[in-house]
Amino acid sequence: MKAHTLVIGAGIAGLQAALDLAEQGRQVVLVEKNPSIGGRMISLSKVYPTLDCASCITTPRMASVAHHPLIHTLTYTEVLGVAKNEDGTFRAHLRKKPRYIEEDKCIGCKRCEEVCPVYIRDDFEHQLGAKKAISIPFTNAIPQFPVLEPQSCTWCGACANACPVDCIDFTQESRDLFVEVDAVLLATGFQLTPIDAKAQYGGGKLRNVISSLQGERLLAPHGPYGRVLRPSDGKVPDSIAFVQCAGSRDASLGVPYCSRVCCMYAIKQAMLLSGSLPTADITIYYMDIRAFGKGYEAFYQNAKAMGINFVKAKVGRIREIEDGNLALRIERQEGTAQPEEAQHDLVILSLGLTPQWNPGQLAWEVKTASDGFVATPGAPLDPAATTQDGVFACGTATGPKDIVDSIMEAGNAATEVGKRLEIRAPMVPGGAS
Amino acid sequence: MEHATSLGDKPPKILIITTIASSYTGANTVGQARAQYAPNTYILRVPDPVMFPEDFYLRCFDKGFAGIIIMSSGSDCPYEGAYGRLSARVGRTYLKMKEKGIPTTRLKLTTVCTVCKHAFLKEIDDMQNHLKEKAA
Amino acid sequence: MSGAMDEAKVGVYVCHCGGNISDVVDVKAVAAELGKHPQVAISKEFAFMCSDAGQKLVIEDIKSGKINRVVVAACSPALHELTFRKALQRADLNPYLYEHVNIREQVSWVHKGDHDAATRKATSLTRAGVEKILRQDRLESIHVGAAKRVLIVGGGPAGLKAALDSAARGLKVTLVEKSGRLGGHLHEFDTVYPGGQSASELLGKLLSAVSANPAITVVLGAEVKTWDGFVGNFKAVLSTGDAVNAGAVIMATGYRHTAPSAGEYRFGKDDRVITLPALIEQMKAAPRGPLTRGGRAVRSVAFIHCVGSRQIEGVHAPQEDGKVNDYCSRVCCTAALHTINALKERQSDLAIYDLYRDIRTYGRGHEAIYEQASKNGVLFFRFTEEAQPEIRESSVVVKDVLTWNQEVELPADLVVLVTGVKPGEVAELTAMMKLPTGSDRFLQEAHPKLRPVEVANNGFFLAGACQAPMDLVESAAAAGAAASKVAAVLSKDFITLDPYVARVDAEKCTGCEACLPECAYTGALFMNGSKKAEVNAALCKGCGACVAVCEPRALDLAGWSLDQMEAMVDAMASEVAP
Ligand SMILES: Cc1cc2nc3c(=O)[nH]c(=O)nc-3n(C[C@H](O)[C@H](O)[C@H](O)COP(=O)(O)OP(=O)(O)OC[C@H]3O[C@@H](n4cnc5c(N)ncnc54)[C@H](O)[C@@H]3O)c2cc1C
Ligand SMILES: Cc1cc2nc3c(=O)[nH]c(=O)nc-3n(C[C@H](O)[C@H](O)[C@H](O)COP(=O)(O)OP(=O)(O)OC[C@H]3O[C@@H](n4cnc5c(N)ncnc54)[C@H](O)[C@@H]3O)c2cc1C
Repeated sequence: MKAHTLVIGAGIAGLQAALDLAEQGRQVVLVEKNPSIGGRMISLSKVYPTLDCASCITTPRMASVAHHPLIHTLTYTEVLGVAKNEDGTFRAHLRKKPRYIEEDKCIGCKRCEEVCPVYIRDDFEHQLGAKKAISIPFTNAIPQFPVLEPQSCTWCGACANACPVDCIDFTQESRDLFVEVDAVLLATGFQLTPIDAKAQYGGGKLRNVISSLQGERLLAPHGPYGRVLRPSDGKVPDSIAFVQCAGSRDASLGVPYCSRVCCMYAIKQAMLLSGSLPTADITIYYMDIRAFGKGYEAFYQNAKAMGINFVKAKVGRIREIEDGNLALRIERQEGTAQPEEAQHDLVILSLGLTPQWNPGQLAWEVKTASDGFVATPGAPLDPAATTQDGVFACGTATGPKDIVDSIMEAGNAATEVGKRLEIRAPMVPGGAS
Repeated sequence: MEHATSLGDKPPKILIITTIASSYTGANTVGQARAQYAPNTYILRVPDPVMFPEDFYLRCFDKGFAGIIIMSSGSDCPYEGAYGRLSARVGRTYLKMKEKGIPTTRLKLTTVCTVCKHAFLKEIDDMQNHLKEKAA
Repeated sequence: MSGAMDEAKVGVYVCHCGGNISDVVDVKAVAAELGKHPQVAISKEFAFMCSDAGQKLVIEDIKSGKINRVVVAACSPALHELTFRKALQRADLNPYLYEHVNIREQVSWVHKGDHDAATRKATSLTRAGVEKILRQDRLESIHVGAAKRVLIVGGGPAGLKAALDSAARGLKVTLVEKSGRLGGHLHEFDTVYPGGQSASELLGKLLSAVSANPAITVVLGAEVKTWDGFVGNFKAVLSTGDAVNAGAVIMATGYRHTAPSAGEYRFGKDDRVITLPALIEQMKAAPRGPLTRGGRAVRSVAFIHCVGSRQIEGVHAPQEDGKVNDYCSRVCCTAALHTINALKERQSDLAIYDLYRDIRTYGRGHEAIYEQASKNGVLFFRFTEEAQPEIRESSVVVKDVLTWNQEVELPADLVVLVTGVKPGEVAELTAMMKLPTGSDRFLQEAHPKLRPVEVANNGFFLAGACQAPMDLVESAAAAGAAASKVAAVLSKDFITLDPYVARVDAEKCTGCEACLPECAYTGALFMNGSKKAEVNAALCKGCGACVAVCEPRALDLAGWSLDQMEAMVDAMASEVAP
């Protein structure tokens, strides 16, 4: 397969860059390792500072990508290697993982999912809900193909019997693909620091201490429970705490930097919580509130006006007390000097952002910086270039950032790729090249 | 006075006006979740309901629709100022309905997004219950 | 239009979706019922309409001349509307003569319990689809010619990068800069955070690339004076008299430093009190040796953050327009700490106090600058908006919340006010170009999350600090993103727009002008020479607001006409039991 550009990662940054390139008449191969495109953004509840519903504003973008004649999307596909050819093009070795269904036949009807007797943890819900061993990953997934999890499947055959188009294929194997392109764009995104990284915060064992991405799912209009409940006992929480910098600005975790989005998403989640649980007490323990973007300070001030408690304090330790409730040891940075204990019945950790994929593991010249994200030696004026000529990066692959900043970088990366293509594969007058 | 095309013994029909950008997709989300609702509901898809004059709604009542739910796009509406114009229009429609003796509760303006499953079902439920009460 | 109806022959295809529909809806009955419609020439059901075999059915029926309009009743149009439009195209039929009826997501999947009712509903929805397509014209997408030139307003780092990026994509560029030189605020800095590169080197690179590029025309000391046209064909006249014809515009008018209000922190009264930009300038002018003030060595400096930013009504004096700057200026925390570290490097025994509300070193490499300042021995004090620091004879007094609101008196030979930023002077431009601004007075993007460099007005794009405070990395990214959008718009010889726009039947138009105030898009709807409403298809966004108020029904939305909608409603209302 040949194309102008390979875009790796179909989060909002990769989607936007692919669209921008395709709108300029360039052929794009977009690879995504997950079964659906959309990245983190499609799993968020609402987005700051507009409080637009995340799915509502992401799905149209996803659909535009899926329908674009110049974008070839490969989901559930991994990148095994990228090598630079002598003529300056790149050859990428991809592996399409088996969904155990024939995609050209599947009509996305969910019959298989309905009859499957096996329930497993739902990754999309960050383990808060359950799904079937064969299922479409989430409601607005694109494409609407189910994935069968072979580790959990009992091979009972119920799905195959129910399938109206006979598309279940238990013997399907992964398939290798090779793509030749003129440029590569990394939009491989972020992941959260592990919830079990800090022993002081229970090392991941406290049932009612959840990650911020789990918080997003709890608050999503189509989330796992349909409303806000705490995991241990399904109780509606009435005192909720956010612990800021729970994985950032912390050299002991190897994350000395600021993760840039946590202040704002915590404020957002706090506002949404207070909307759905008007009588609940909500507290944010923070070091500095970094509401730096357009409209963000007003968002922060609104949250204060809504009655959300902002307490400048470090949280030293969290332990479980009776009924799954939590006791937080607080060292206030203002007001009193004595450490004190505060009790809450749900705690959301604002974990830090680290890179999701390390491109340095492939045999090429793309390097990462000391923070682990893709190095961009051309910054400040050329923030998309990497250490390898012809390879570009954008979005959270080059450091934590929010959606709007990711989208700006994606557009810029499309320009940088476009400039390279202008030289290597000039557009012929009239449009196509 | 009840309006001329009162409901009779046929099940009352509900017209649901949806937007391409938001609520039409929302209705699909309801379907994907296999949530069930009564079949006396008819979904019309438009770029934006702001295109309808007041008389359009009156005509729908005349033709036999018992209730109309306008499911507009909310903050993610792609058209500038359309929501404001739409709600002003609906306000004027209410006046005309009153003149004709049509209960204004038979027309409802609301916003439904692409994943507002619950809101979608609740609006239908509310309208059904309302029409039932009226009939009783 | 009635002529079109007479000769119309509709083909109706009802999909089983392999049981997904046919288990609930009696698809045979639907097809049979639709077959009775006088203008339906063919009505069939099929197991999988989206399959190649299904599409072939449609294509063959068109090619054999039996039908010239198509309705498929199947899944959601989001899935396969495009599939069938393309099938029509392959059969040489206008792709807009197609209607997709959703009887899966909106019928069979939601009415499992009542097969009869579901079948009746599917029938009337499909009938509604037939009525709609009978009233549909052959729509064509709209083509607008495009001048392959982009006008860039503002020659700071963002404008320069946008110019280079656009030129590299084969476009001609006119770059208009109000001042006498290119470079914007990049001129003011010695080194830039976070990387510490030399600002003049960065600027030098940009400037030599711009001057070496024959596609870029720079007009210095100039402003846009008159404005006309629309996307593809804007016409500007500059203060120099030059006329510019551009297909698109990138605004890159940047920011201005805020000035402390009269007497704020004794600014203007006490010459120990200066602003951060002034300090940066002084350090750039004398890059080595200890800092002096009025000939005397400076031994202690206090920095006060958030001057002119994060202002609170009632606490701070308002700006000229009566509003306070309630936003965060984003760049000042890191700029201040970067400057502090530079000071410490030249004068390690300098005592530096940093009085802040929140330290916002959010960006890549910024936190390290904050840490470095701490390591350099800078002392940090946190104040709240209610209790602002006070400037005394030779000191600054701050109520420090970090030490439980103790009042601390700090010696200060120099007080540096970390001022914020406000947008460039653009009031005249925005009035002329009809560009939206936000309550913070910065230029307003089309959507604050998804479309940060686009403007609601077609053909306008934003680059850099004119949209919101941002640093160089962010300004460069915004500039590149704007250039990407421009390249997409101007890469083809024509700009292609959706056909779903308002149109006027001039015969019916009475010239009453009721439609004009309904239109939210400047220039999209206007009265022409013969006093009839006219639509500029390039500017119309197809919301239909004008349609609603047109008494004589002269206005209509192509593809979504009121006639079509009424015919659909009638079909849905009519009770047909198959
Ligand atoms: C709890 C939380 C709440 C947030 N809330 C908001 C908010 O309200 N507003 C806001 O503006 N921002 C918010 N953010 C930030 C927002 O999520 C990010 O800005 C955005 O998702 C970044 O998009 P991306 O495309 O860079 O990365 P991602 O969304 O991480 O996408 C990267 C994609 O690349 C894929 N990928 C990775 N490696 C590979 C590989 N090797 N091969 C193929 N595919 C690969 C991944 O599977 C993924 O789909 C929030 C973040 C968090 C953690
Ligand atoms: C104190 C301070 C220190 C900073 N330090 C750093 C740093 O170290 N590192 C960093 O990354 N960022 C720094 N920044 C941010 C940096 O200055 C901006 O990111 C950058 O200048 C923005 O570029 P721009 O082109 O958008 O705007 P500007 O630099 O403001 O350029 C705008 C240009 O447009 C022109 N213009 C305005 N109006 C018109 C008009 N009507 N017609 C024609 N031309 C017009 C202006 O004359 C100007 O030349 C700092 C900012 C401040 C306030």
